[in-house]
Order: sequence, then C-alpha cells, then structure tokens
Amino acid sequence: MRDGGLSLRRQLLLWLVLPQLVLWLAGGAATYRLAAGYANRAIDASLLQASRALARQLKPMGNGLLIDFPRAAQDVLEADPKDRVMYTVSSPPGQFILGNNRVPAPPPSIAAPSVDRPYFYDGEMRLDSDPEAPLRRVRVAAIYLSYGEADTPPQTMLVQVARSSTSREELARGILVDTLLPLSGLIVLMTMIVWAGIRAGLAPLARLRREVEGRAPNDLAPIRLDQAPRELHALALALNTLLAAVQHTVATQRRFIADAAHQLRTPLAGLKSQTELALQFDLEAQLRARLERVHSSATRSAHLVSQLLTLARAEPESAIAHDRTRFDLRRFAQELVAEWVPRALRAGVDLGIESAEDDATDVQVHANALLLREAVANLIDNAVRYAGRGAEVTVRIVPGPRDVVLEVVDNGPGLEAADRERVFERFVRVGTEGDGCGLGLPIVRQIIEQHGGHVVLAAVEPHGLLARVTLPRAS
Amino acid sequence: MDLLLAEDDAILADALSAQLRRAGFNVEHAPNGPVAEYLLQRQGFDLVVLDLGLPMMDGLTLLKRLRNTNPTLPVVVLTAQDGLESRVAGLNAGADDYVTKPFDFPELEARLRALLRRAQPAAAPADVEIGRLSFARETHRATVEGTALDLSPREWTLLELLVSQRDRVVTKEQIAQVWSTDGGELGSGNSTEVYIHRLRRKLEGAALTIRTVRGLGYLLEADPAAGTG
Repeated sequence: MRDGGLSLRRQLLLWLVLPQLVLWLAGGAATYRLAAGYANRAIDASLLQASRALARQLKPMGNGLLIDFPRAAQDVLEADPKDRVMYTVSSPPGQFILGNNRVPAPPPSIAAPSVDRPYFYDGEMRLDSDPEAPLRRVRVAAIYLSYGEADTPPQTMLVQVARSSTSREELARGILVDTLLPLSGLIVLMTMIVWAGIRAGLAPLARLRREVEGRAPNDLAPIRLDQAPRELHALALALNTLLAAVQHTVATQRRFIADAAHQLRTPLAGLKSQTELALQFDLEAQLRARLERVHSSATRSAHLVSQLLTLARAEPESAIAHDRTRFDLRRFAQELVAEWVPRALRAGVDLGIESAEDDATDVQVHANALLLREAVANLIDNAVRYAGRGAEVTVRIVPGPRDVVLEVVDNGPGLEAADRERVFERFVRVGTEGDGCGLGLPIVRQIIEQHGGHVVLAAVEPHGLLARVTLPRAS
Repeated sequence: MDLLLAEDDAILADALSAQLRRAGFNVEHAPNGPVAEYLLQRQGFDLVVLDLGLPMMDGLTLLKRLRNTNPTLPVVVLTAQDGLESRVAGLNAGADDYVTKPFDFPELEARLRALLRRAQPAAAPADVEIGRLSFARETHRATVEGTALDLSPREWTLLELLVSQRDRVVTKEQIAQVWSTDGGELGSGNSTEVYIHRLRRKLEGAALTIRTVRGLGYLLEADPAAGTG
C-alpha cells in the first residue's frame, strides 16, 4: 500500500457508511417536515375553532355589531402566559373594532379574500403592549365574515386569532428529537458493525501481509493460506508460483556452485598430493621455496572450496538445513573442543573450556548438529588462527533462562571496532596474514541466524577477541 | 602390505601411489570401477582406497558388490562429496572410513594404519613407545630408558588410558570410568589431579608431557625434540 493511497479498509468504510449517513439525514429532514406539518394542522384546527367561536359571538345589528363577548371568556383565551391566544376583530381596511391590535395583518397574498373561508399564516408580533417587548413568531387564523341587511351593501368583518408558535415549535422539536435520537444510536451501531465486518473480511489480507512481511529475504517457502477466501487464494497462488520460480532459479544456481566446488576438489587433491610428494625429494632451496608456496596456495584453495561448500550447505534451501535434533550443547562443545585441542597444540595455542564445575546441567538446543559444528569449529579455527602462538583460547557455555550463550574468547591481538562488523561480510579479510578465505564468519552468522540465534564479536580487556553466539534453548 | 587404489584422476592417482609406496605400501592402481573389481577378484589385498566417483561403475556400487564376497576387507572411501547424506551412504555401503578430498597425506596414512591395526589385532604391537617411555601391556611394565617405573594399580590404569589415547584429550569422566571398572574405590573430587601430579613426577625424563586441557581433562604427547616411537 502506498502512502497517500486510500486504504481498502477506509474505502470500504466510506462507501458503506457515507450513503447511510446521507440517507439518514434525508430521512431526518423528511420526518421533521412531516412532524411539523402535523403539528401545524393540529394548531390550525384549534385556532379555527377559536376564531369561529369568536365570530359566532358577533351579531350584526342593523349597521352595527353586537358583540357578546364576556370578559371571562377573554380571560380564558389569554390566560396561559406561555401559550397565549390573541384575537382581534376588525373591519377592513384596518378599522380596529375589538381585541388586540398588534396581531399581524393578513399577508398581501390574500388580496381578494373569500368570505367564510379560513386563512392561516405565520407572522411576528409583540405579545405585550410594551413597545420594547421582543417580537415573537405567531400562527394566525383569519376569517372574513360578511354582515349587513339585505338591502344595504354587505360589509366585511375580519376575525383573527393568533397563537404563539412556541408550543408548535416545541412539539416539532420533540418529534424531531424522538425520531433522530434512536436513529443516531442506530447509525453508530451500524457503523461499528460495518467496521467489524470490514475488519473480519480483510483479516486474511492482513495475514497475507504479515506472512510476506515477516519472512527473511532468502526464505522462499510457499505462502501458507489455509482459510483464506477465494479472491486471496488466487493472489497467494500467483505469489507462490512466482516464489517457486525464484526458488528454482536460486536452487539451480546453488547447485551449480556446489557442483563446481565438488568438481574442484579432485584436481585440488591432485595438486596437493603432487606438491606434497615433490617436497619429499631433495630440492634446490629456491625450488623448494617456490614449491612450498604452490603447496600453501593449493591448501588455501582447498580450504576456500570446502568453506564454499559449507556455505552452500548452510543455505535454507539445502536439504539438511531443516534436519534438526535435540542435544546437549555443553557435551557438544566439550567433544568439539577435545577434537580441536591437538590442532591447537600444534599451533602453540592453549585451547580449553570453561564452565562452572558444579553446574553440569544439560543445556538442550534444537539444532542441526552438523551445521552448528561447522559454525563453532569456524569460531575456534579463527581464534586459533589469529590469536597467535602462545595465546589462550577458551570456549565458555553460559546458560540463561531462555537462551544459551556460547563464547569463544582469545587473548590475541583482537580486532578494531570497525572491523568487528565488517568481517561478517563475505570475502572480507582483515590483515594479510593467515590463509583464511573470508568465509568463516559469514558461515557462522548464516548458520546461527538460521537457528534463531545471533552472533556478535566484542573486544576483551586488555586485548583479545570474544565471539558470542546466542542460541534459543530447546523447550 | 598390498593396497588397491581405485581413483580415476590420473594426477592424483600418480602422486598418491608414489606417496603410498614411499610409506611402504605395495600399490596397485585401478582407473575405473570394472578394473578395480577385476583386480579385487584376482588378487588378495589388505586394504582398499576407493574413490566414490569412479567411471563406468561408481564406488558405492563397487563397494556393495565387494561386501557380498568379502565383508572384512578394510576400505577407506575417498570422495569429493562431503555432505552428510553421502557420508552416511558410504558408511552404510560398508566403508570403514571416509576421507574428504582434498586431504593431507599424513592424515590419510594415519587412518589407513589405524584400519590395519583394527583389522589385524594380532599384528599390532603390544608395546608402545612414546618419547623415552616403553609401555608393555602384556607384562604390565612401563620403563623409561630401561628403568622400570613403580606404578600403583590406579596410576597404571591412568597411564594406560593416556597412552592409548595419546595426542588426544582424555576427559576426567573417562578417567573416572576406567577407575570404576577397575574396581578401585572412587576417590574424592580432586584425586585425578593428585594422580596426574604423581604420574608427571614419575615420568620426568621420559621426554613426554601430560598436558592439562582446561575444563576437559589431560592429553599425553611426546616432546617434539624426542620424536615418537
């Protein structure tokens, strides 16, 4: 996944949740409109009732009006301070007759009103006579009535009843909240479920990523995806096909190296034998010196070839790399050191082992004994080779709770700090002495890391080198 | 000592034959499998050095066929392969020892001699000479330049072990083991050091050294100047 690219998970979430959110908003708006409509209708009905009742109290008397509107009724109408009902009776245009003269006039859209038909509209007015009082939204019902004798031209009378919108708005708001609150809860729940679903659905993808990310660069084993969905199986299959092809190429190359090394061994053995034989004859000093160089060169080539083969064997694809057994590292080290002591003595090196006398417990490791032997033998060989005549080389086993440390310590000249990491690279040799080929420590690292351990070099005071191998203990 | 060298590489075979002859062997050379088989049928050999990569009939096949008719003839396998599998295959097919090319001739010779000693125990000398020490197992006598050493049974067992394992590490466990099979009572923890110390004193002038190998045990070797017997 590239930076900046939208993650699949986010994309899915967006596509699943965003439309829901839009639908939810639209649904909320529609609900509110519907609720407000119902609320208006209920209020309009009560206003109409009030205005008709008021109109019934107005009785035309010749050219005048008899208004039978007791004070008590007025009080009832205007009693509730929170939800006041205002009324006004007027004779258009604008001739105030009775009631509250602040009720807003009908909108101009009602230009030619029909008689006896109710009109409803919204407006604003001050509820109190105080001119400083705030404007309030009101709902107004208006009815035009006509009165007069049959012989005179009819006169029109306007009855308006206004009521504060507060209660109506509260009602609508209540409906809105009651509808939207459970809806919001639902949408949150839905988003969570969708999120969980996406996670579960994409889990095999994450597994595949971990599987690919977590492997060593030289691990070309097929990807294992047992319970992956069909779509991923295809991807994993394609990857595995590629891996198999790469592995085949690598294996072919390795086999070539191993075969070449094998093929080199016989001529090298011939070369060595011939020079060994020739050196047994009486030779002129110069010739002998040359021949000795040929012999040492042949020996070095032989060493190089065998190290190359070891390296090829230590590769993860090699057949024996996965052939592991459990054994006691302490005994293993003792046997290996015992085998090396005569060679060390010939090189004038005092080789020994160090472990606490009373601590003779098993230190089990799960490893390929042949490869581990190559690794530790290379460390001992290096120490014996480079520590020099008269030096002391000690192999030490220090068991820890989970790991076991195997150290090869010498009191030779040691290595510069900068060289201590460099010597793990292939064909890097420090100094020109000795007949090493620069593959020993790379072999050690390859083998130890393949066994889940690690190896470092450190300096020893006052002088010397310490190679520390840490291996996991067998559980 | 008749030895058959079955090796197809002419240069190696040439040098190896010469070195073996100089070491006192009577060498016949076979450049391929069928010739080697023919020679083996016709002539009685004491020892075979067999290359696994022979032409026409490879060494493993030859070895298997040889084992059908002659199961005891000592065979050292020479090979350019050193993988664990081929080592195991060689030993399974009946090889007595296994040497990887390229090798140092002294190492090959040492292995050949060891094989011969094992194959002909009667011929192996009972007396061993290291430095100026003569060690006679039969008569239980150890002498330094003719003077017999006065050794306790434990000292004798210890010296016998060190001599038989000369130039190799003898661990304290091995020492404790031979002492316990000898029937002697087990000493305290540092009794090995005490006995080694006594042996060293008695062996002064024998031109050999009992080295202490730190953390492991001891190793007996002849002093370089004195040569070995």
